[in-house]
Formats: sequence, C-alpha cells, structure tokens
Amino acid sequence: MNLYNTHIDFMKYRKFWVWVSLALVVVGLVSIVAPFRVNLGIDFAGGTQLVLKFPAAPEVDRLRHLVESTGVRDAQIQRYGKEGENSVIVKTSTLAGSEEGSGTKVVAALNAAFNAGATGADLNQLGSESIASLLARLDPDHVAAQGDVAAQQHYAPAAVQVMQARKQYGLLTSWDQIHGLSPTVLEALKKNARLGSFAVLSVENVGPQAGAELRRKGLLAVGWALLGMLIYIGIRFQLPYGVGATMATIHDVLVTVGLYTLAGFEWNLTTIAAFLTLIGYSTNDTVVTFDRVRENLRKTKGEPLIEVLNRSINQTLSRTLLTGGTVFLAAGSLLLLGGEVLRGFAFIITVGVIIGTYSSVYVASPFALLWVNYFSKRKAAQKPAGAPKTVKPKTATPKPVEPVKPQPVSGKGGKSRAAGNRR
Amino acid sequence: MVAAVAIAVAAYFTNRINLGLDLRGGMYLALKVETNDALRATTDKDMERLRQELVDQKVPGVAVQRTSDTAFEATGVPLDKGDVVGQIRDKFLSGWDWKTDGDRLVFTMQERSAADIREQAVEQALRTIRNRIDEFGVGETQIQRQGLSSDRLLVQLPGVDDPERVKRLIKNTAFLEFRLVDFPPNGGGLSNKDEILQHYGGKLPANIEVLPGDTRDREGRVTGEMYYAVEKRRVITGRDLKDARPGVGQFNDPVVNFTLTFEGGKLFGDATGANVGKGLAIILDGRVVSAPRINSRITDSGVIEGRFTRKEVEDLSTVLHSGALPAGITYLEERTVGPSLGADSIRQGLQAGGLGALLVIIAIMVMYRGSGINAVLALVINLVLIFGALASAGAALTLPGIAGIVLTIGIAVDANVLVFERIKEELRAGRTVKAAVDSGFQRALPSILDANICTLIAAAFLFQFGTGPVRGFAVTLFIGIIGTIFTAVFVSRWMFDLVLSRRERVETLSI
Repeated sequence: MNLYNTHIDFMKYRKFWVWVSLALVVVGLVSIVAPFRVNLGIDFAGGTQLVLKFPAAPEVDRLRHLVESTGVRDAQIQRYGKEGENSVIVKTSTLAGSEEGSGTKVVAALNAAFNAGATGADLNQLGSESIASLLARLDPDHVAAQGDVAAQQHYAPAAVQVMQARKQYGLLTSWDQIHGLSPTVLEALKKNARLGSFAVLSVENVGPQAGAELRRKGLLAVGWALLGMLIYIGIRFQLPYGVGATMATIHDVLVTVGLYTLAGFEWNLTTIAAFLTLIGYSTNDTVVTFDRVRENLRKTKGEPLIEVLNRSINQTLSRTLLTGGTVFLAAGSLLLLGGEVLRGFAFIITVGVIIGTYSSVYVASPFALLWVNYFSKRKAAQKPAGAPKTVKPKTATPKPVEPVKPQPVSGKGGKSRAAGNRR
Repeated sequence: MVAAVAIAVAAYFTNRINLGLDLRGGMYLALKVETNDALRATTDKDMERLRQELVDQKVPGVAVQRTSDTAFEATGVPLDKGDVVGQIRDKFLSGWDWKTDGDRLVFTMQERSAADIREQAVEQALRTIRNRIDEFGVGETQIQRQGLSSDRLLVQLPGVDDPERVKRLIKNTAFLEFRLVDFPPNGGGLSNKDEILQHYGGKLPANIEVLPGDTRDREGRVTGEMYYAVEKRRVITGRDLKDARPGVGQFNDPVVNFTLTFEGGKLFGDATGANVGKGLAIILDGRVVSAPRINSRITDSGVIEGRFTRKEVEDLSTVLHSGALPAGITYLEERTVGPSLGADSIRQGLQAGGLGALLVIIAIMVMYRGSGINAVLALVINLVLIFGALASAGAALTLPGIAGIVLTIGIAVDANVLVFERIKEELRAGRTVKAAVDSGFQRALPSILDANICTLIAAAFLFQFGTGPVRGFAVTLFIGIIGTIFTAVFVSRWMFDLVLSRRERVETLSI
C-alpha cells in the first residue's frame, strides 16, 4: 500500500462533493422531520418491552393478538436474535394513563394461552428463592423437622442448579437440562412442578414521565457536546477552520442520522452514546488535518490556500485512512458479532467512520476555503480574489474573519508550538 | 511506568471487575416518592388535631375540611371564640400560615415546612427501602437518591431473579393501624356495604368510616370482599411495633407475631382492656386484614392472622419492622435482565472484541512491520490499564462498556499512527533514525492531544447524561482515551528508546 507522496487534487472536485454532501444532509433532515420514519424505542417514547423465548418459533400474529386482547395498545413484535433462538421482543405501551408497565399483564395473558390448564409451579418463571420454598414445602429429603429456615437453606443449592440451567439455556425444555440435582429432589420437582412453554428473558419499562425526561436529557447531551466541540475548536483554530470543522461534524451527524433512520433502527440510550462518540471522532479526524494545514501555512507563506489544503490532505491521507480503517474494523466487528443490543450502536460508528473520513476531506476543507474566499472577495477592491487573505495580514479585515495577528492561521495554541518546532 | 502497569494488574486480580446489571442479570428501578402524599398526611393530621382541640375546648359547630394537599379551612368559627382558636393555633399549628375570611379560617402550609416534609419523606423512604432490601438478602445492592433534592430514588439489585416480589416489597407502603370496629359489634365483616349504612340510618357518624377487606379461602386465595365500619381514631400504628416475625398460628397457619414498644403496649393495653368483646380491625394500607374479637386485655405482644400464605407472612414481617413508607411510590423506570441474556451479551461482547482486536493488530503489523509490535504492545498495556482502572474504581463493566473498549482498541491506535506517520515522513526527508523518532514524537504531540481531547469532551458529556449501561460506556471510553495518550506518548516512546539505545548506530527502522 503506497499512501505516501500522493498528489491527489482533492480540491478539484470539491463542488461536486459539496453537492453530494448537501443532498445527503437533506436526506438526513427529511428523515427526522418525517416523524413516521423515526422509530423511537421505549427509552424515549415510554413503554414496556419484553424479551420472550419459546421452544419453537412463535407465530407473531397470534402473539400480537394475544397481547392486544389484554387491552394493551400498540403491540409490536419482532424476532430477537438469531433464528434458532426462537426469541421475540414484544414492545407495548405502558398501562393507559399510568407510569406502570404492562409486563405483568402481558405475561399473565401469555400464561393463560400457552400454559393453559397446567398445574404446578413453572420452573421457567419462578425465582430461585421461590424454588427453594417450593422444595422446602415438598420436602423430598425430609428435613422439615430442622425448621423452616434450615429447610430453605437445605434446598437453596438445588434451586441454584435450576437457575444455572436457565442461565445456560434461557428456556428449559427438558428435565435433562438440569444437572446436579439429587434423584429425590428431581423426582419431587418432576411430580409437582413443570417446565412452562415460554420464558421471560427480560422486562423493561419506561414510564411516559421518564421517557420524556430521557428524551430531553439526550437532546441536551448532544447539544452540549456539539457546543463543547465548538468552543474547543474556537480556541484552537481561527474562524474559517472552526466553521469547516463544525460543518463537517454536523454533516456527519445528520447524514448518519438519515441512514440510521432509513435503515429502520430504533432510537434508544445507546443511540445517543453512539452519536456522542461519533461527534468526538468526527471532530478529531478533521482537527488532525487542520493541524497540518496550520503547520504548512506557517512554513510556506504566500502559497495559495487551495494548494496548502491539498498538500495537507495528501500528507495526512495515510493517517486518515489508517485510523479510519482501524476504527472501522473495531466497529465492524461489533456490528458483526456484538449481538442485538449493540447493533444500532455499531451501525452508527461503522457508517459514521466512513462518513467522517470523507467529510474531513470534502466537507471541512472546502468549507474553510469557501469561507476564506467569500470574505476575500468582499474586499476584492483591495485584493486579488481567491488568494487566502491570511497571507496579507496587514490589511484591515472584517473582525470575525481574522483577528489581527502576525501569525497567519494559527490560533492561540499555535504560537507556543511554533516556537517548539523551530528547535 | 512499570509501576503503573503493575498496580493496574494487581488491582485487576485482587478486585475483579464488577459486572453491570445488563451482563450479570438483575434489576434496575427508578422510582419516585410521591411526596404530596406526605404533605397530605401532615395536613390531615394537623387538621384532625385542630378538630380534636376544638372539641376538647368546647368550641361547637366548627367544620374543618382539607382544600388541597397543603391547605385546609375551618368554617363556622364563633366570633367570640377567636382567642381560643388562636391559642390552639400557636400551640399546635406553628408550620402554618393562616388568614381569616369572615367566619372562615384558612390554613396554608408554609413553604419551608412543606420543603422539610418532602425532604424527610424522601429520606425516610430511602431508609425504609434500604432496610427492606437488606432483609430480603440481596447482595451488592445500590440504593441512592438521584441528585440532592430530588424525589427520585435509583435502586440496583444485581442477581435478583424474582422481580415482581421485589417490586411489591418495595412499593408496599405497609401502613399498619389497629382500630376498633364499631359495626358489626363482634368484629367480623359484612359482605354488603349497604347493610352497614342501614345500621347507621343511612348516614355515617363523623368518627366512623367503612373500610374494605379481602375474604380468603384456606389456601390464602382471595375469594371476595367484606366491609367493616371502624373508628377513625387509631389505637396504635406500625410505629408502635418493636418487632414483627413470621410464625405459625393455632391451626398451623402462617401468621405474623409482633411485640410492642413500652408506650405502644400501654396504649394497646388501655384500649383492649376497655373494649373486651368488641372487634379490633388490623388495617394495612387502608384495607382490613382481619378483625378478631378482643378476648382480654393485650399489652405487649400479639398476632396478626388473615389466612396468609407463607411468603406473604415473610414479606409482611419484613415490611412491618422496616417501617412504613411515608408516601406512595411510583415506578418510573424498570429494567430487569435475566441471567441468560446477560451471559449471551458477555459472549457476544467478547467475541466481537476478540475479532476487532485481531483485525486491528493485523492491520497495524501489515502497515508498520517491526514498529507495529511497539504499537500492539502499547495497545495491550492500554487494555490492562482500562481493566485495572475499572476494577480499582469499582466501576461496573456493562455491554456498552465492552463496546467502548472495543472502540478504544480502534481509536487508540490513532495516536501511534500519528507518531509513526511523522517518523516515516522525517525518515523520507533524510533524517537519521534517532532524529526522526525524536521529532516524530515531538511534532505529533499537538495532534494527539487535539484529537483525543475532542473525544474526551464527548465522553464527559455522555457520562453526565447517562445512567447504568451508557454511563459504563462513557467510563470505558474516558479511561481508554487517557490510556491512549499515556501509552502513545510515554510507553511507545520508551520502547523506541529501549530498542534504539541497544545499538550504537541505527541505520534502518522497520516502520
């Protein structure tokens, strides 16, 4: 791989790519504005979510019918995990007009349908303490004489064995799956308990109040993080570059939001985590290129900015691609193997890295260039257009563009470093 | 440097990593203490006080009623009894603002006392719930207030596998009262509410109210409802209990045995002694549990029976001696993860992490050959640091946290890449190896800092935003970045120096 001494004229096609970026951003915006496309998870919308496991692939329609027959609205049922796992995720609203979840109600309805007429305790649903109490009552080892507490303790290890089996299989379908029970205990359980025909792997409930609060906090976190970046960039770089970097970051977020929404992923807490990470990564990527631009501008005064940008991008190209590549590999592994919970998160990072790498080249730099050129043209009477104004520090310039400083583009941080570099 | 690594490794092995609820299974609850309940209770209590005092001071014809959670009014106060009312007010109603409006006297709770009551309610709820959960015997629980003056509590219970029972246990207000039954005269209830009303000629006296209770069969299953007319005055409440334990009744049925405090025993003794033959209603959270006949004077201990199941008796004893909740509880958020999902998540996280690390290492070795070893070593040290920091800080590793570590593997390489690219450039510019390494590190430093500070800012905001799993992610990301800077700037440099100082003249560098 020869990524060195490349002389690609990145800036040549900048106009084309700026339009591509704009189009992608518009897609992103439309996807958020059109509310029916955004799949808000229970974290933000409020609601109850259960993961259920069955011995065979369940009929989704029957399940939905069952759930809705309890009066719970808006049931959504999807397969969860791999095909052979026979698991589904059931999303419903919370109980009408309350913060309370509908999980108990749904489980009751499922019990009525799938475990109808069955008697005895369901080992797929009891907690370990209840299993121990059950055994203490059945008392196959005849320890009741030692008292309640002792009996409970005597049978606790057996209960743990049952829970271990449940941890391993998720749903117990055969007595052979439970190991380490004494024959008498196993016999007592077989006679008085049963292995019900579904298991509840997880229950999550977020009330409307908490949902609204998480929504607010999530938006605030993203907003504050963007602002934080802006301030940091503002301190480190002069305005045109700050604008470029910010544009690139906002671009990355919006485009990724669009793709994420279009791919139908659910918005939840980890989504926010992923976007905050993306904001950090995307800025980081741009900043490294701009660091080089600053350095080059200092070295070669008088060269047109477009050349400097091109050269800087080429010089940092190998780093940009390699770092992008390693992050892509890491995030891609998560996307591939990380499982259901992390899929959306991994998607954002994987896609975001590609977009972020692209935007460092084709959004950040063109924007900086555009900004510099635009303000130079406004002063075209005094200066030839197109040349970066930074090479003419003595002219009076509009305030926001260029604080009058001897050093061309570097911000405060640059000065001390310049001294260091001369060593 | 070596010391830092050694500490990290030691911390890792001695302390072990704490797994978050999403990985080990367990329960997370965010609940709200309905502090308005406590305000209302105080308002009721003070209002009753006023009513009682007015009766005692022989001021007739005053009607008292609550108008909101923090206000009540007395109407029909005779104008010539103003000073009597004033005395009662000064003596018993200090936390109240009041104004007169004709014959109406309006009391409003002062802001400060309302705030105090709310604060106390939340603190007491926190203590009570902590007691209950401690007794329930779940290890490594975390119960805390969300923020300083909020009415939210966060409860984390790792390893809980019977969530419904825990939820009931926490939420149970467990307000226990003993009151005398006015009708039917010998305790026992009536299945028909109207019969009771008829007995009083259609209108209940001011000091009597009708409360419901369940009827149960031998197995403890609820079969129907009964009604009791009971006095509003309480003989004793749960606060007068010294202890409560599960026990067995005369028919071998589960009961709760209780003992009373000295003062409670005196009150109870007086009331039972004076009312032998009458019914005594045992009321829990506004429902009559049972209403046995008083056979003799009872002073210091007693039995609560009510055809309970054994589990109910255990839970009831627990809530009784952990104390009553001062206000209702609403569950705002609940997340329960079973152990099998947690085990799956760990497996998937580890697989994804392994693959990611492998791919990244291959990529580095291909790009940087000999020097790649350096970067890989730095990466490994970084990972050890992350785990060490997690273990020694006692922070929980969550599934998003694992994702954070995997991501850190990808991002951490960046710092090395920045340095190596610089060194390569310097070499191409014709510098000697040593000079190239020197200036490579020096010139890459600002970029390394710039780049990582950006991610740090994001991680900091994330930490502030997140709870539970997401916070775990922010923590690993944060530690990972700090580790990145440390390993890239110091460790990697040190390794270069180590290799280069071994040889007198270095002509080539595998990079």
